[in-house]
Amino acid sequence: MLILSILFPVLLGLGILLKREFKCRKILLALTGVGLAVTAALGLAVAFGGETELLLFSFGKNLDIYFHVDHMGKLFAVVVNAVWVLSGFYAFEYMKHEQEETRFFGFYLMVHGILHGLVFSGGMVTFYLFYELMTLLSVPLILHNRSKDAIKGGLKYLFYSLFGAYMVLFGLFFLNRFSDSLAFLPGGTLNLGSIAGNETLMLVVAFSMIIGFSVKAGMFPLHAWLPTAHPVAPAPASAVMSGIIVKMGVLGMIRVVYYLVGADFIRGTWVQTLWMSLALLTVFMGSMLAYREKVMKKRLAYSTVSQASYILFGLSLLQPQAMTGALLHVVFHAVIKSCLFLSAGAIIYKTHKTNVDDLRGIGKEMPVTIWCFTFASAALIGIPPASGFISKWYLATGALSSGIGTFSWLGPVVLLTSALLTAGYLLPITIKGFLPGADYDYGSLQKKESNLTMLIPLLILAVLAVLLGIFPNLLTDYIAKITAAVL
Amino acid sequence: MSQYWILVAILLPILGGIGIPLLPFRKRKWMLTYIEIVVLLTSAVVVALLLGGKTEAFHVVRFVNDLSISFKIDGMTMVFAGLVAILWPLATLYAFEYMTHEEHEKSFFLFYTMTYGVTLGIAFASDMLSMYFFYELLTLVTVPLVMHTLKREAILAVRRYLYFSLGGAAFALMGMIFLMVYGETCEFTLGGVFSAEALAQHGQLLLWIYLFSFMGFGVKAAIVPTSGWLPQAGVAPTPVTALLHAVAVVNAGAFAIIRLTYYSFGTDFLQGTWVQNVCMVLAMFTIVYGCSRAVKETHIKRRLAWSTASNLSYIIFGATLMTPLGLVGALTHFVFHGFMKITAFFCAGSFMHQTGKKHIYEMNGMGKKMKIVFGTFAVASLGLMGVPGFAGFISKWNLTQAAVHSGNPTAYAGIVCLILSALLTAIYMLSVVCRAFFPATEETRGEPVGDPGWQMCLPMLICAVATVLLGLFSAPLIEFFRAIAHGML
Repeated sequence: MLILSILFPVLLGLGILLKREFKCRKILLALTGVGLAVTAALGLAVAFGGETELLLFSFGKNLDIYFHVDHMGKLFAVVVNAVWVLSGFYAFEYMKHEQEETRFFGFYLMVHGILHGLVFSGGMVTFYLFYELMTLLSVPLILHNRSKDAIKGGLKYLFYSLFGAYMVLFGLFFLNRFSDSLAFLPGGTLNLGSIAGNETLMLVVAFSMIIGFSVKAGMFPLHAWLPTAHPVAPAPASAVMSGIIVKMGVLGMIRVVYYLVGADFIRGTWVQTLWMSLALLTVFMGSMLAYREKVMKKRLAYSTVSQASYILFGLSLLQPQAMTGALLHVVFHAVIKSCLFLSAGAIIYKTHKTNVDDLRGIGKEMPVTIWCFTFASAALIGIPPASGFISKWYLATGALSSGIGTFSWLGPVVLLTSALLTAGYLLPITIKGFLPGADYDYGSLQKKESNLTMLIPLLILAVLAVLLGIFPNLLTDYIAKITAAVL
Repeated sequence: MSQYWILVAILLPILGGIGIPLLPFRKRKWMLTYIEIVVLLTSAVVVALLLGGKTEAFHVVRFVNDLSISFKIDGMTMVFAGLVAILWPLATLYAFEYMTHEEHEKSFFLFYTMTYGVTLGIAFASDMLSMYFFYELLTLVTVPLVMHTLKREAILAVRRYLYFSLGGAAFALMGMIFLMVYGETCEFTLGGVFSAEALAQHGQLLLWIYLFSFMGFGVKAAIVPTSGWLPQAGVAPTPVTALLHAVAVVNAGAFAIIRLTYYSFGTDFLQGTWVQNVCMVLAMFTIVYGCSRAVKETHIKRRLAWSTASNLSYIIFGATLMTPLGLVGALTHFVFHGFMKITAFFCAGSFMHQTGKKHIYEMNGMGKKMKIVFGTFAVASLGLMGVPGFAGFISKWNLTQAAVHSGNPTAYAGIVCLILSALLTAIYMLSVVCRAFFPATEETRGEPVGDPGWQMCLPMLICAVATVLLGLFSAPLIEFFRAIAHGML
């Protein structure tokens, strides 16, 4: 089942890519739709099944393709499938105005399979393999329209990501020598005997791996690919990039820190301090840049930079409550940000407007879309009872009770400031959208609401963004189990 | 199998090559058949010899006392001879189609086939003098191949190649003389040949001598500061660049350095000395320098040549770790890089052959027209980058594991260089792939261009498949290398 959940979409995607020409668009969509549904069903079946292990293949000593479905993987698997399928469904309509859809859907399916491999992988080598594949296969999604900017964005994404991956690989070389195994184990696998005398080296290694994964997660100073790649990609691709692919960097970091190196090893060291500082700096900087940005999708990309670092800050505190907050934010941000990007895409699809200033009165034209946008914004800002509030609450209380000097109060302050900025860059779109002002020419308004294929995913995501905040217990209980195991 | 068959393996291609202009072929087809048969026969003899296992040295010509031309088969021989025995028939097949648009075919194939025998001579040589003899021959016999087109740039390239190589050989000669004087035997012996007495008395001097010989042999392996000849020699027809300048000639340099380090001077003597660090730093510098030049280069073959310079220094880096693991890493890359780079060169050559263009910016959208060529190029790129599942990952993994285990801080810095080089490799290879498959603008509708014929496609595909298979099922091969490094073969 596990293997099938990876192989089926990859092979189907490959088949679609090789076929290339479809007589009728419906066949392509039907294939993709069935493919996505079956893949999601397989993935969820694995996720809701028991804890399984599987050593598939070994291509060298210690180089194993090894899967282990644990709680962390299951959590991510559910998020991946929810967002991936909804965005895929949305793409059925959106991709009408792009060319070469076959390529998009082919690669989209393939990455879906690779993501299953990523979340279910049980060791760092397997994780690294799928991480590289994810990078390589997601590039065509970004440079899809092949304009000069798109290719530049795609290559920037590629090279930034590879740089990160190689930093990870650098760490991996040393970890293989200084730890008992490269399989994930809650609490870490470092061999304390053999690192005696090499502590500094190991700290450098841990830091290099953290930085390596932070590229995908968009942490300063390696965040620059996000604002370049997001605006040029088709909306469904931006949605899953911010929603899912960024989170895979987060997952990698979790795996390294909590499952390989061990939280205890870096607690109180310069690595933790530097990590916290960079994350906090990114939270603030991302919001600030988003606030000043006028291009809608770029603004959302900067917002992702900022929000992903909320997660990283939560992780860097190495404290159970903060980690719970971080994992909650993984789920919430995936839902919220994909909703925001899909709304932005709907606006672009219907009106071809990309600039925030042009969006006056948009709420009159596309009321449902903008309502979804508004709910998601509220959730991202953290207005209770929407979901963002819960995660931020955990993050802030976690920071306060962490007892790490300055950061225990500086953290919440920065988070709050950033929340204000978030309100500042998201709400004006709603406000001007619905209340364009007295001098607005109401006569030129046209009904431009998106059709159902695009609205249904939007609505589901928006409702989820709110509902998850009202009924968070299921999630928090589950996450508490994870954090208890690793900390 | 009798040892005399070694002579057959070496002489068959040399004599067979000389036969090409002498025999009266009615049709081109017959000549090609003849060449392929000669090459295949040689490969068959080589494979049979290697399967026979390790042999003692036997002397063919004895000058005075110890000075002799002699051959033997040991682990290193098996690696090098095995590699060329597999690649030579493929590259020859590739050349048949490629050379249709070049002139002086006969002289090309004459020297191309002779080079095979000379390269085998290097592999089978059992002592420094024999290796040196064939090493010099290799320089001379490849000269006509580089200046094949007889254009001005080809002449310039040859001049540089000749000066560099002969100069390097002179340095290497110095090492050889010291080996003869102070060594207990001339034959290659794992662990070194110097007597304890000589080491005690002339330690420092011998270290200097090692450095000179290292630099001397390093010329062929394109180590900085003598790497400039390699990209310039790219003016040669592609079969030459693919086989000789990515595998045979440059690997001969690396092979000689391994022989020098592990089998003549001995790692016990060299390890931990200043000279080890100097050599390692040179290799590290070349790794990064080669990649950086490759990124800058827009001529496809020159870009690949710079990449070769960088990758050869991976091997040298592994060798300078001077541990058995280091040798394992070096040998892994020695073989794996051969397959990956020859694939890349085959693809580049096909592109040039089919379109007559040479530059990367002229490749827009070619991926759709030449599916096989650029598909295999993508495989080679992923291999060179070191994506898990491809050959390059295994060799990088072995090299870095050796570096980590050596505990040498310089080696740690070397790992950083390897990582940096991997990133640069990704940049210079993937930008080509990306341009071919996802062009910003479609090339104007010129004359239709497609994949080349089977003679060019088949070698390409075989090497690409090998790149993947070696990445997935490398375990037996690595065991074999480990046996070599521990002196069991």
